[in-house]
Amino acid sequence: MSKIELTLKIWRQAKSDAPGRLQTYASGPISTDMSFLEMLDVLNERLTREGEEPVAFDHDCREGICGMCGAVVNGHPHGPEKETTLCQLHMRHFKDGDTLVIEPFRAKAYKIEKDLVVDRSSLDKMIISGGFVSVNTGGAPDANGIPIPQKNAEEAMDAAACIGCGACVAACPNASAMLFVAAKVSHLALLPQGQPEQARRALDMVREMDALGFGNCSNERECEAACPKGISIRNIARLNREFLKAAIFSDED
Amino acid sequence: MKLDPKVPGGPLAEKWDKHRFDSKLVNPANKRKFDIIVVGAGLAGASASASLAELGYNVKTFCLQDSPRRAHSIAAQGGINAAKNYQNDGDSIFRLFYDTIKGGDFRAREANVYRLAQVSNNIIDQCVAQGVPFAREYGGQLANRSFGGAQVSRTFYARGQTGQQLLLGAYSALMRQVKKGKVEMLSRREMLDLVIIDGQARGIVTRNMLTGGIETHAAHAVVLATGGYGNAYFLSTNAMGSNVTAAWRAYKKGACFANPCFVQIHPTCIPVHGSYQSKLTLMSESLRNDGRVWVPKNPGDTRPPAEIPEAERDYYLENKYPSFGNLVPRDVASRNAKEQCDLGKGVGSTRLAVYLDFSEAINRDGASVIFQKYGNLFHMYEKITAANPMHEPMMIFPAVHYTMGGLWVDYNLMSTIPGLFVLGEANFSDHGANRLGASALMQGLADGYFIIPYTIGNYLATISSKPNDTGHQAFRQTADDATEKISKLLSIKGKKTVDEIHRELGLVMWDACGMARNEEGLQKALDKIPAIRDEFWQNVTIPGSGQELNQSLERAGRVADFLEFAELMVVDALSRKESCGCHLREESQTEENEAKRDDANYSHVSVWEYKGKDSSPEFHKEPLIFENVQPSQRSYK
Amino acid sequence: MGLIGSLYRSSVGKKSIMAASGLLLSLFLLTHMLGNSVSFLGRNAFNTYAERLHSLGVLVYIFEIGLLTLFLIHIITGIILYLENLQARPARYSVNTSEGGRSWGSRTMPYTGVIILIFIIVHLMNFHFTDKSVPVADLVRELLSSPSLAFFYIFSLVALALHLSHGFWSLFQSIGFNHEKYNPLLMKGALVFSILMGTVFILIPVLTLVSRSFLL
Ligand SMILES: Cc1cc2nc3c(=O)[nH]c(=O)nc-3n(C[C@H](O)[C@H](O)[C@H](O)COP(=O)(O)OP(=O)(O)OC[C@H]3O[C@@H](n4cnc5c(N)ncnc54)[C@H](O)[C@@H]3O)c2cc1C
Ligand code: HEM
Ligand code: FES
Repeated sequence: MSKIELTLKIWRQAKSDAPGRLQTYASGPISTDMSFLEMLDVLNERLTREGEEPVAFDHDCREGICGMCGAVVNGHPHGPEKETTLCQLHMRHFKDGDTLVIEPFRAKAYKIEKDLVVDRSSLDKMIISGGFVSVNTGGAPDANGIPIPQKNAEEAMDAAACIGCGACVAACPNASAMLFVAAKVSHLALLPQGQPEQARRALDMVREMDALGFGNCSNERECEAACPKGISIRNIARLNREFLKAAIFSDED
Repeated sequence: MKLDPKVPGGPLAEKWDKHRFDSKLVNPANKRKFDIIVVGAGLAGASASASLAELGYNVKTFCLQDSPRRAHSIAAQGGINAAKNYQNDGDSIFRLFYDTIKGGDFRAREANVYRLAQVSNNIIDQCVAQGVPFAREYGGQLANRSFGGAQVSRTFYARGQTGQQLLLGAYSALMRQVKKGKVEMLSRREMLDLVIIDGQARGIVTRNMLTGGIETHAAHAVVLATGGYGNAYFLSTNAMGSNVTAAWRAYKKGACFANPCFVQIHPTCIPVHGSYQSKLTLMSESLRNDGRVWVPKNPGDTRPPAEIPEAERDYYLENKYPSFGNLVPRDVASRNAKEQCDLGKGVGSTRLAVYLDFSEAINRDGASVIFQKYGNLFHMYEKITAANPMHEPMMIFPAVHYTMGGLWVDYNLMSTIPGLFVLGEANFSDHGANRLGASALMQGLADGYFIIPYTIGNYLATISSKPNDTGHQAFRQTADDATEKISKLLSIKGKKTVDEIHRELGLVMWDACGMARNEEGLQKALDKIPAIRDEFWQNVTIPGSGQELNQSLERAGRVADFLEFAELMVVDALSRKESCGCHLREESQTEENEAKRDDANYSHVSVWEYKGKDSSPEFHKEPLIFENVQPSQRSYK
Repeated sequence: MGLIGSLYRSSVGKKSIMAASGLLLSLFLLTHMLGNSVSFLGRNAFNTYAERLHSLGVLVYIFEIGLLTLFLIHIITGIILYLENLQARPARYSVNTSEGGRSWGSRTMPYTGVIILIFIIVHLMNFHFTDKSVPVADLVRELLSSPSLAFFYIFSLVALALHLSHGFWSLFQSIGFNHEKYNPLLMKGALVFSILMGTVFILIPVLTLVSRSFLL
């Protein structure tokens, strides 16, 4: 185990409507076996002992699955490692003397709550607008009643692997949420259970996305490159297809 | 107080049907008049909220995270059991029931477990209908695997993300009800207390974690689905936010706590690597199918593994348990690993780890076969530790993983407080002294989708549907208490951080109330815990105010509860002088030093009732009666 | 208006309009490029081609109106999208880096678009709103032998190629075509298309500058 020391420039903002700024901290000795969040824990423990307010940041599972963590490190959502959430990023990927600029995810549709904590309820709102299959509890037919080709099930799972962290929005130059919406629409469109509501879902989710103030997709592919679960923009093409099919041919409005 | 489990009469297989028929119904027009609070939006809470809202009740759902989709349930990897018998390998409802009750070492209620096995099949149907992408065979049928040593393949899975996919299914059902206006979803709200009016649960007090506002919410019934309390040990595989707060405050308002000392410790986790460590990561148990567990023969041997010759390695599981070898059950594997480390034979920089070595399997089957089987797990391990298990042995150590104990509930899942229901990991109901792999997900969803929607009617039909509001004095009083507690915490302004104190508590609990316990150690813990608690109340420091997002304050509130609750865990552990399920009571061992259960004296649920701040809790027994299975002793020699 | 209007009210719809107009403009460019390459066959061939084209009369007129509409649609939609995208992130990051998804083409779309627009205006003034009696070949030689104008043409045409290097792939993605098997091919195709377009168009000012015999 080796130790490194870093200069941390962290976005501090007391609350949503307060001005924020980057504040510089010396990390002190950091074990390279630490995760990024443990590094922040160590800083916070020190700040607390010094009577300063610790840096607020969201996290829960620390296993890369709940999607709660996330900050932009030197311009990279979830840091520079590919397919890695911030909680799974380890300090051995940094060098002694590095400067890390740590900022919250930024978008009009993500309000900053405090420091690195942002309000991502807009992601829930898009699911509320149609990211479900309308089936009540009880009365579902036997699970093996409709065979689903393995390939479709796998592709649906690829899309369903989205952890809803919202890094795609943070990475997109236009702060578009297309990858997030596309992952949900694709997951359900690929399964027979999702098909009856396919047109409605695509129309509603895209509309909700637009209404929430996310940007438009310019096919920059930054989202795919930033996604900790490696979700492909093929799903965005599928969403475009589903949406256009619905807008042009279906009788849904 | 008399505990009435309300188990219906009749033959085991007919109890649930009969109970459903006998249950009171609330007519559809009346359902609209009932408000239900659901605290927690994990598998249990989300499925319950959605199902209750579909029936027509008005539901308010609360969770700590910014979105219900992030509940701890999301982390479950392995899978979910069901008695579908799709593989035609001899599974049945009775077999799933039997395995679960035996796995729980005969410390669970027969009727509840049987019901769980019965509804397991409906869960799979329901999830598939919601679009959960379970793994499938080429032909399009659902795939199954055998999990946690089961003799049949009854586990359904979605890659290594089963919990996530099931939760997203329940979450989508919940979001659909939000759209319909039947569920009001309140995220980033922490339940701080339960409001009791005339002996009935009538609402809760919450803290808005963004603004710090203390809020009151009234309802006709309160459902707790707040998960497990593994974080009492500080380090565990649980999510950072998992806590006992909601359950503990309910306990202090009169809900009895059952079997608090029943905690499962998982043998294959990535070991602790430093004092800054914040949580432990689970590695799938399947690794033990091909990995061999060993430590150096000589205590204090610090050579790297490759330099330790075969003759100086101790394959302690294979030596001690020749027939099961590395595949002994979770508790046996965990206990032995700790024992080896206590003997000074641990490995790694902290000396708190044992090797799990794949070199023999690689030599036998070839690197590609082993990589194909475990590649993704190795990858995950390498991400965290920077070591590749294909080249050097993995290091593992046991970690707290699941809590079988919880608030006591009857067959209707109602606690000892009328109108307070408890679901999922937060209750004690189905896993006895040990939970089988892939059955927690099953239980959470069974409770939420298929049990509470029926059983809650039994209660609601007995009370008035008159609107409830928060104007009652009890709400004000409870909210004031909560506010006062927060100001007290903020006013301490001591020297130690919340985490420092939590860590101290965790160490005490791990040493004394972990996988092996003895009278002396537990007694000592009983002295230490109050001391840590006192130190907390005198010397903790919490920067910031209560009127804002304050994560230190949130943690402090939870640790304050753990500090009280830990004592109850120890008291419970002391009172159970038998070994059973996950834990060994050192005074109760066979001649071969194996766990010895004592059915004559401990075939019961230990139920604790709060008796006020300065009195010890009152002990109640719910005797366990086995009419359909014959309790047998485990043996792994 | 119904369908178009409803498409305009959504991001995906606007992008599909961008893609459709972009595709049609690209097809126009293709014919324009083929027409221009007649110049490599010599002065007479080129002049005859231009005269034939003009003799189509009202057809040319209709074609021009169509083209203008396409441009207007593409430009207006592009501007709307650009402004909306700016608003979607009011507070910028202090460190801006790429995750590795963007290309030079994609990150410069709005800027190359504006260059193309200016170019088109200049180009139309040069060749459309001018004395139609002068043979095209002479017009080209006369104008593009001025190094500054020739360089402006070359610069703009590079921008066009860059615009297409992203645009010609992106449009398929926008209308929902992205197949695991064919997408890599499509991306290469877009690159080839843009390089080909750029090269052929650019050859004209380059040859005018360096060759003593081109179009003479
Ligand atoms: C790493 C890991 C792997 C696992 N793998 C498996 C597996 O393969 N198969 C299996 O069957 N089981 C597995 N388990 C166990 C299983 O995941 C859990 O037991 C189960 O998901 C618990 O679900 P729950 O709904 O009861 O609680 P949780 O999912 O923990 O949800 C609790 C909810 O309550 C909320 N909450 C808590 N306290 C408060 C409060 N005070 N106020 C307001 N809201 C509150 C939280 O925000 C959350 O929404 C695993 C567990 C772990 C740790
Ligand atoms: C011959 C001329 C042109 C051609 C062939 C052309 C072609 C294209 C194509 C194919 C696209 C991709 C559409 C998609 O992503 O779906 C595109 C995008 C774009 N074009 Fe053009 N274009 C031309 C001129 C212009 C002009 C004059 C402007 C603006 C002033 C412009 C601005 C844009 C912008 C901003 C985009 C990106 C839109 C986005 O992704 O948000 N283009 N163009
Ligand atoms: S904390 Fe859950 S994904 Fe990082």
